[in-house]
Amino acid sequence: MIKLTNISKSFGRNPVLKSIDLTVNKGEVVVILGPSGSGKTTLLRCVNYLEKPSGGEIAIGDFRMNAEHAAKKDIHALRQKTAMVFQQYNLFKHKTAIENVMEGLVIVKKIPKDEARKRSAALLEKVGLAGKLDAYPSQLSGGQQQRVGIARALALEPEVILFDEPTSALDPELVGEVLEVIRKIAKEGITMIVVTHEMGFARDVANHVVFMDGGVIVEEGPPAELFNHPREERTKQFLKRITPELNYSI
Amino acid sequence: MKIDVTFIWTAFVHLLSAIPTTLLITAVSVTAGFIIGLIGAVVRIYKVPVLSQIATAYVTFIRGTPMLTHLLLIYFGLPVIVDAVSAALGLGFKSSSIPMIGFAFISFSITAGAYMSEVIRSGLLAVNRGQLEAAYSIGMTTPQALRRIVLPQALAVSLPNLSNSVIGMLHGSTLAFTVSVVDINAKAQIVASTNWKFFEAYLAAAAIFWGLTLLIERLTALLEKRINLYNRGGVA
Repeated sequence: MIKLTNISKSFGRNPVLKSIDLTVNKGEVVVILGPSGSGKTTLLRCVNYLEKPSGGEIAIGDFRMNAEHAAKKDIHALRQKTAMVFQQYNLFKHKTAIENVMEGLVIVKKIPKDEARKRSAALLEKVGLAGKLDAYPSQLSGGQQQRVGIARALALEPEVILFDEPTSALDPELVGEVLEVIRKIAKEGITMIVVTHEMGFARDVANHVVFMDGGVIVEEGPPAELFNHPREERTKQFLKRITPELNYSI
Repeated sequence: MKIDVTFIWTAFVHLLSAIPTTLLITAVSVTAGFIIGLIGAVVRIYKVPVLSQIATAYVTFIRGTPMLTHLLLIYFGLPVIVDAVSAALGLGFKSSSIPMIGFAFISFSITAGAYMSEVIRSGLLAVNRGQLEAAYSIGMTTPQALRRIVLPQALAVSLPNLSNSVIGMLHGSTLAFTVSVVDINAKAQIVASTNWKFFEAYLAAAAIFWGLTLLIERLTALLEKRINLYNRGGVA
């Protein structure tokens, strides 16, 4: 179980997160929605300390840390319990697909190379890239790169995988293949927090949907409830604007 | 004045014996300079307190003064310091036992370090911040991320400019003659001093320098091809 308590974050004088509380149960898929600038990506990045929260507490299982005065050791421990899939994929450019997946296993988890290679190959096969083990990121399409990114996150067997708009940088026709993979691993009971604009995905896959605006959680609940009977006016407005029919991007 | 073509050849053959000295000075200053530059660049990029200020001051001072001046400062200054320290500690070590080429090694390493630090720093800046974040996200520590992810990419980007630095140090090594180290250029002067055919001798020296430079260029091209394999785009 992941528990964020009272997480706040300011960039200079500008508060972007105002005392956020969020609980994610084991095996749950939590989708965070919200307009740009609502703080959803910042919140996600606070969970693995890529952003340093200005205050609050982060707990994963038995591990807990004060977010404001974190020791290096705690940050390191936190990052070993989490993994992230980035909007811009952020694959290691100088490493092949399989090396990208192996890197964390060999360097962080100290697993012998042969074993790591075997596991990585199996994971890449799982995300549909069995034929691309030795391709460099520059030789892969965006959708393929993102699937390597997912395999890299899966390899670490983290307690939670954080998805930061995993399909926002993709060509529309490549979005499907990535969502399909995420859907598949969600079914396996891997805990996930997903920031996305894909409403259809949120509706189908999420157990819990969080709507954020202005640095606070405006409303949260099961997808059926939040999408069909939103309580807050701000949520209604947002959902009206982002109906699937009008969901286009430039 | 007539050019003595045969003497160019004679000089050329004589100069060959000085190539090891030139290459040694270049190799030592480039290797030590690379290490100094690497540390300086990392320290400045990650704003390590105190060290980054020292590194910044070092780079501006060294780049703001001529390489020949560095050599002279080391040549005249270092013995004073060494003798003082040696006397204070009662070591019985005399600065006069430092070989002349040692002064060239030290001073040129300091010169190369400042220039290479800027080259490596630009390479580090060229690596997308997302690479470091991805390394953190899989649980790497900062040293692991630097060594495994950031530096290999930064050095690949820096390679063309690093080779420029190597060539610069190769040519700069001619200044070592000021402290009586006989490199290729100095040898040319010595060879010609018997018959005053300086032009021919320096022509031979130029040919050798050009040849060595071509060699460095070829090696860089090979290395670049190997290292930058991953940049060759396929689909996206």
